[in-house]
Amino acid sequence: MLDIPVNDTVSLADLINDPYPIYKRMRAETPVVRVAQTNRIFVTRAEHTKWIKETPEVFSSDDPMTPMKPAFQAHTLMRKDGAEHRAERMAMQASFSPKVIKTDWADLYQKLAEDYVSRLPRGETVDLFSALCGPVAARILAHMLGLEEASDDEMQRWSQRLIDGAGNFGRDPELFRKSDEANAEMNDLFARIIPRHREQPNNSAFSVMLNAANPIPMSQMYANIKIAIGGGINEPRDALATIVYGLLTNPDQLEEVKRQDAWIDAFEEGVRWVAPIQVSGRRTTQEVQIGDVLVGPGETVMTIQASANRDEAIWEDGENFNVFRAKHPHQAFGSGPHHCAGAHVARRTLGQIMLPLLFDRFPNMSLPDPDAVIWSGFGFRGPLNLPVVLN
Amino acid sequence: MVAITFIQPDGASQTVTATVGDSVMQTALNNNIDGIFAECGGAMMCATCHCYVDDAWTDATGERVDGEEDMLDCAEAEMRPTSRLTCQIKVTDALDGLVVHLPEA
Repeated sequence: MLDIPVNDTVSLADLINDPYPIYKRMRAETPVVRVAQTNRIFVTRAEHTKWIKETPEVFSSDDPMTPMKPAFQAHTLMRKDGAEHRAERMAMQASFSPKVIKTDWADLYQKLAEDYVSRLPRGETVDLFSALCGPVAARILAHMLGLEEASDDEMQRWSQRLIDGAGNFGRDPELFRKSDEANAEMNDLFARIIPRHREQPNNSAFSVMLNAANPIPMSQMYANIKIAIGGGINEPRDALATIVYGLLTNPDQLEEVKRQDAWIDAFEEGVRWVAPIQVSGRRTTQEVQIGDVLVGPGETVMTIQASANRDEAIWEDGENFNVFRAKHPHQAFGSGPHHCAGAHVARRTLGQIMLPLLFDRFPNMSLPDPDAVIWSGFGFRGPLNLPVVLN
Repeated sequence: MVAITFIQPDGASQTVTATVGDSVMQTALNNNIDGIFAECGGAMMCATCHCYVDDAWTDATGERVDGEEDMLDCAEAEMRPTSRLTCQIKVTDALDGLVVHLPEA
């Protein structure tokens, strides 16, 4: 049994810029390592990240010091374990279930996707990231949550401010001021639309929670909706941009995807290749052995699913985008009790509806300068722009 | 060793050997059974390991656990009296010969 090795060279800036070569090296040399500049233990191998997420008794989601608390003005289900987590999650689970996706969201998303894609100009260079990926993700989420009154811009602004606040480990007061402002705007809207959802119950998350036989406290309903806003826009946005990038930079694969109608495979490969949520934190409740090293209680362990998704033990040639690789389960949606509640929705909306629709309307879409695409992010990762020519 | 048979909606059937102590879901994953995705890894947080237990085996597999029904109600295919999440059925010697049916995708 070994002490935890320390890496004192890797900086947060390196990780935001391009974490993948760093993870590759960590997987090979120090799969469990304390990254000194973040004072957190990074776990980069697939077998460990999966096990950690599936063992919540030892690796708790509860973090009393999390900046999520001030950012969301609540202790949210993301940072709870066991029965408490389950009760709050199940309060809105029905809205995101395969059943309701089929009855409600698939048709609606088809309509929204057609609407947003038809607005895109033909024959011009368009930043698909800001013109499509973000807005359409915001719109479908607004409907799923029962917040139809909120604009795309409002949804995206709230989401970004919650995320910035939740990641505000440096406790910058300006970031919390902005998240407070967003919270105030959201609270106003929520209060305003309660009567509508009570009078006209529907399958949206807010309505399902409000009209439940045994409702959870209103403060937790608000927190749940905010979690969904913070966690439900940038992932589908980044996933869509990543998949389109992967296909446009691998035209032979794109042709084969079209021929085989393999859009779901393209979706899975995109989120494997660059997981929109790259990292999830857990706290050890006791001393525990991870691989060869012993980790003490009360340590923050970062499970790096971005790295797990390229682990050589599972993936041949995992650094590359390859829709037609041998299939293995990836960890982009996590595992265990906190497995992404939006996984099904993402598959249906992006894989089954948006991708075929987009490439059907613009069969000769191209990315003239892949180097112009800027990739960024440690916790969340994706392209910041996607300048494509639509044809 | 315990034998478990998975029957697809089209009637195709596969009989595999299971390890006592594993779940039926793990058994399905170990044998690449179509239709069992088990996205959450057995935490009863998704509804992607849904099966219909064969009528002859419902007594042996027992009652649903707490919370299982709420999750089954989220599954894509209809919930029937025989619906179970395979992650919640533990393989025991008494289940040797178990037959489960997979729902339409």
